[in-house]
Amino acid sequence: MNQPNTGPQQPSNTTTFTLPDLGEGLVEATVLTWLVAPGEQVVRNQPLVEVETTKSAVEIPSPHAGTVAALHAEEGAVLAVGADLVTFEVAGAPAAGIVGTVPVDDAKPQRRVRLRPPDEG
Amino acid sequence: MTELALRPDPEERREGPAAPPTPVSMQQAINLALARALEEDDTTLVFGEDVGPLGGVFRVTDGLQRRFGDHRVFDTPLAESAIVGVAVGLAMNGWRPVPELQFDGFAYPAVDQIVNQMARMHYRTRGAAPMPITLRLPSFGGIQAPEHHGESLEALFAHVPGLKVVVPADPGEAYRLLLQSVRADDPVVFMEPKARYWDRAPIGATEPADPIGTARVVRPGRHATLIAWGSMVHRCLQVAELAAEDGVHLEVLDLRWLKPIDTATLAESVRRTRRAVVVHEAPLTAGLGGEVAALVGEHAFSSLAAPVERVAGYDVPYPAGPLERQYLPSVDRILFAVQRTLEFQRA
Amino acid sequence: MPQTIERDGALSFTVTAGSGDRPVLLVHGFGSNYAMNWEAPGWPWALRAAADRIIGVDVRGHGASAKPHDPASYAPEALVGDLVAVLDAVDAAQVDVVGYSMGARLTWELAVRHPERVRRAVLGGFGPRPLTEDDPDAFVAAIAFAAQLPGNDIEALRACAKGQAAHPFDAAAGVPTAPLLFVAAEGDGLADGVEDLAAGGAGGAGSEVVRLPGRDHRTAVSAQAFKRAAVEFLSG
Repeated sequence: MNQPNTGPQQPSNTTTFTLPDLGEGLVEATVLTWLVAPGEQVVRNQPLVEVETTKSAVEIPSPHAGTVAALHAEEGAVLAVGADLVTFEVAGAPAAGIVGTVPVDDAKPQRRVRLRPPDEG
Repeated sequence: MTELALRPDPEERREGPAAPPTPVSMQQAINLALARALEEDDTTLVFGEDVGPLGGVFRVTDGLQRRFGDHRVFDTPLAESAIVGVAVGLAMNGWRPVPELQFDGFAYPAVDQIVNQMARMHYRTRGAAPMPITLRLPSFGGIQAPEHHGESLEALFAHVPGLKVVVPADPGEAYRLLLQSVRADDPVVFMEPKARYWDRAPIGATEPADPIGTARVVRPGRHATLIAWGSMVHRCLQVAELAAEDGVHLEVLDLRWLKPIDTATLAESVRRTRRAVVVHEAPLTAGLGGEVAALVGEHAFSSLAAPVERVAGYDVPYPAGPLERQYLPSVDRILFAVQRTLEFQRA
Repeated sequence: MPQTIERDGALSFTVTAGSGDRPVLLVHGFGSNYAMNWEAPGWPWALRAAADRIIGVDVRGHGASAKPHDPASYAPEALVGDLVAVLDAVDAAQVDVVGYSMGARLTWELAVRHPERVRRAVLGGFGPRPLTEDDPDAFVAAIAFAAQLPGNDIEALRACAKGQAAHPFDAAAGVPTAPLLFVAAEGDGLADGVEDLAAGGAGGAGSEVVRLPGRDHRTAVSAQAFKRAAVEFLSG
């Protein structure tokens, strides 16, 4: 009746950031200049790349703090919105979901109640 | 309910990769289990609100759409009744749906489909219509989320004939129980304790899963049994640690399957410890603690040294974030209940 | 959060948090707005080393500011008055200014008319060639392009272009005394002659001109070389 479960693949702490919707109904953008390189540490909101749309040139800031694991396009390449842009290795404290906060457990919870063991005689 | 019809595990035919030595979060454990389920059976489908490109509001489905395609992992409209209704139709036509309802409180609009269709299609068709649905439901409180994001619906679903209800307490349990639920041909409500999503532990994925409907003793003890599920297992382990400082040795039983309940393990534990305290986040009245207390009374009455204690949420709507700590069973409330069982004197 | 003051209709601007010891005013180009011209290409981040407070204006006829259809509303004097009014509203006695294209011309005018308000200025995508209705290709093309951008009011933009064209740029009418840096894409036709302008005594003798290879008038704004040059110059 027991079901053996097998090992999954190595869990990944990487996350891939795709070309965001730049608004104004634009569906693609051209990579002008990379501002980060693989292996580089980036902080949140640090500029990652300049891209050119038919309407303007914009810089895309990093949504994560972490290490750049891979860039997914050459300079000059035309990317569709949603195409892979940068893969990050993300470390550090866990990020909350879109709703709520990450609970912080006390290393040792505070207590006021003390117990008396029962008489086991 | 139909007999469990577990499909043969493909790993019985081929050697699996070794379990990762690194700890993973419960989010990742569930993600890995979903990936495994999608990989081993191409009738498995994952869908719900924001599970696709976004990867879920808690990153639980992160990367699955990219890996398995948007015909197998896809976003739905914000219509919970439709999500479950679609799952029922797919299941009747040979698919193995793993729908997600984004939050506990959003399950209410889907209750009609869950109760009137998903739970009783087996019964209605004399078992002819398969219903291998695993309904993932991020549940319970503890993350200071707004209203409708901290509810405990286990008693509601456990009350519905035809449903199985399971709550994992740690990453390894989440991995094994989810795969087991997906492989089962019965509808399962899989309630994920959001507050433990970020806990990290090696998941021991090659460990065999215990049979469906079994509880597990997570800490042995002799003076009383704490019975819990989900986040409250963690809380009860904290309590047991503190009680040990006082020379009181508490057993912690993770019930995990809330339908069916493992009466044998429950009764065996309480017969040894002679005292039972059941702990849950859901409001006290008509909560599952009452069911547990009744089962203990039926199966371990003569061993009991004290009435079964219940430590639960209050009979109020789940409170806003700042009041959560006052609502959820605290270490002290559980210790008080333990002390009452220890000091109980028969008249 | 954008704020507004009353200047013949609402005038919209934003101010970032900061002590205000080193404020920088950003003035966008024709048909654009503060968010599109400066925020999206990453200027607030780039300027964090050179500024502790950034003041961004939506020039009259643009962005969230009022959009009158009367060309006279857009005389350089009125637009410069708007900039001064914003500086007064945020208690900025003297600022560094970065202006692009039309915004560079307004920066020039601000520095000439109110020299005490401008410490240093960077003029991007700007040259002495006046954009007038006598140059229909560039004039019409600029309006046609701007008309495609979201939120723009083409009648207001036409009035804005006419209102300024009625007062063509004239370096002989006065040059800023504040130090100036000129930056333009290589081959930016709108910046033709900027080297002569720089050599002609504007901003004191020998203002530098930085040219950006591989860029055009539209893509120059996000260029790192532009930002680095501006930060270095404003930190001087």
